[in-house]
Amino acid sequence: MKKRLTPGGVLLTFATVVLAVTFLVPVLWSLAVSLHHEGQTMSNVFDWFLPPYTLENYPTVLLRSGVWVWFVNSLIIAIVSTALTLLVTPMAAYAVARIKFKGATFFYIFMILGLMVPGEATITSLFVTANWMHLINTYAGLILPGIAASMNFIIITAFIKQLPNELTEAATVDGAGHWRIYWSLVLPLSKTILLTVGILTFTGSWNNYLWPLLATMTADMFTLPIGIPTFASTYTVDYVLPMTANMVASLPMIVLFVIFQRYIVKGVSLTGIKG
Amino acid sequence: MKLLNRRELAIAGARQAQRRPARRRRPQSHQTTSRNRRELTTALVFMAPFLLLYTVFTIWPVFQAMWVSLSKWSLTGSQGFVGLANYAKALDDKYFWAALGNTVKFTIITVPTMMVVAVLVALLANRASRVRAFARSAFYIPSVLTVSVISYISRFMASPHTGFINHFLHDIGLLPADVEPQWLLGPRLAWVTLAGTTVWWTIGFAMLLYLAALQEIPDDVYEAASIDGASKGRQLFSITLPLMSRTHWLVFLLQVIACFKVFGQVQLITGGGPAGSTTSLVLYIYQTGFGKDNLGYASAMSFALFLILLVFSLLQLRVQTRSEK
Repeated sequence: MKKRLTPGGVLLTFATVVLAVTFLVPVLWSLAVSLHHEGQTMSNVFDWFLPPYTLENYPTVLLRSGVWVWFVNSLIIAIVSTALTLLVTPMAAYAVARIKFKGATFFYIFMILGLMVPGEATITSLFVTANWMHLINTYAGLILPGIAASMNFIIITAFIKQLPNELTEAATVDGAGHWRIYWSLVLPLSKTILLTVGILTFTGSWNNYLWPLLATMTADMFTLPIGIPTFASTYTVDYVLPMTANMVASLPMIVLFVIFQRYIVKGVSLTGIKG
Repeated sequence: MKLLNRRELAIAGARQAQRRPARRRRPQSHQTTSRNRRELTTALVFMAPFLLLYTVFTIWPVFQAMWVSLSKWSLTGSQGFVGLANYAKALDDKYFWAALGNTVKFTIITVPTMMVVAVLVALLANRASRVRAFARSAFYIPSVLTVSVISYISRFMASPHTGFINHFLHDIGLLPADVEPQWLLGPRLAWVTLAGTTVWWTIGFAMLLYLAALQEIPDDVYEAASIDGASKGRQLFSITLPLMSRTHWLVFLLQVIACFKVFGQVQLITGGGPAGSTTSLVLYIYQTGFGKDNLGYASAMSFALFLILLVFSLLQLRVQTRSEK
């Protein structure tokens, strides 16, 4: 890319910025709404970006309602889901990628078949299964179905496979067993890829909608995506508090995105774009 | 449910990983059986937790779904085997066909819009190097929000009299002051709202795909073209867009798959209305299964969805495989 300034180039850069800001308007606007007093005028769109500002909606939303409970539920579920995913998936990936046993290919293919199963198409039977196991309206029911994901397994397997063979061979010669090699060599070397998978799992769990909608029955088990619509519908007249609740659900994800941007972008490209 | 979710993207990745050349194996002959067995045991121990969860929550439900779809089944359990009755019912159910039709409509409206906007946004974000990072973030940030949030924002922004959009259109003079569009009350505008929200929400993934593709086009192709006197516009249509044909196909198929699974934003923005005109297939399955407590019938309709998605998934695998050759 040439960096010379041409009128056309400046114009396109300007257009890019305008379009990008346009894309952010709904988010900026929600943020602006959440930072204003209830009942403040909004006859003009631009009023929303003018003072007086206030932070008091945030404690109000968190204290006056179930939002705090849903926030904690979302957090617990996202953290435990991420931890379990990172515990279970790399182990399976290591076995298929590095342990030489008959049937490795069979297990590999079996474990990626899940890619062909769209969750939306088995939602009724997943409910039947979970119901039969008494997992409906429990944390376990919200967490466990999402843990063993084929996609994560593929990403990590591909990564472990391309680690240099010499490393593990040297360790084997030194008498290290599989557990030792996995724990002290492969896992540390896979830190970046695990971080990528972990962030995608966390955000995926935080934003998950369909399954928690079915698997939660009582408001104390709701996650934020399930609770927010019920919260919003009880405040039909004023939108300041629902907007604040929206921001409570969104700000952690936006901050996470800003901090871990490059891992998220990498994750997207890892999941099939490369070629 | 996102328009471009990781699972679909991953099918491509699966293919790629699968095609990786097999690692050289040591000759088996001098390995003892006991060693083989020990390795197998170790491998099984390593795989056990994943395999267990995967089998119970991903593979088993497929088989369970077959059984449920052949039964009269409510939330409290099976009430007996009914054979193919649920499937026959679907063929006869005008609401099922309407939901399928709506889903197709949603796909036809959303996918081309998405592709055009994604290409445009990627071209802009790729070009403007000074603001590239900002632009990429701005276009992607809607994707990190949950469907409940984007749906609420959308409903609120689109609401007449109090919403942002009508105000804005009045302010810039695009709408006469006395005209107040009801974005969710007429089928046509409801579709515009749904499609617009969806494109806004999910553009980020498609943009990242296109950005990756753009960065793979070597600079010297453009240099050669400028020497030959090709204008910028000509370069765009004769070089850039054709060279990204694989990405066009990939984005297209992934978007179609995602559109067929649309649920959250429809349920939360229009609720399937007005008068069922935006009820998508998954929403109808959800309403049938959990609203009307008819899981058997819902499962039968799910299989229709499953088959449609399978066709597009296989097409997508083909695109992926061909490009690797």
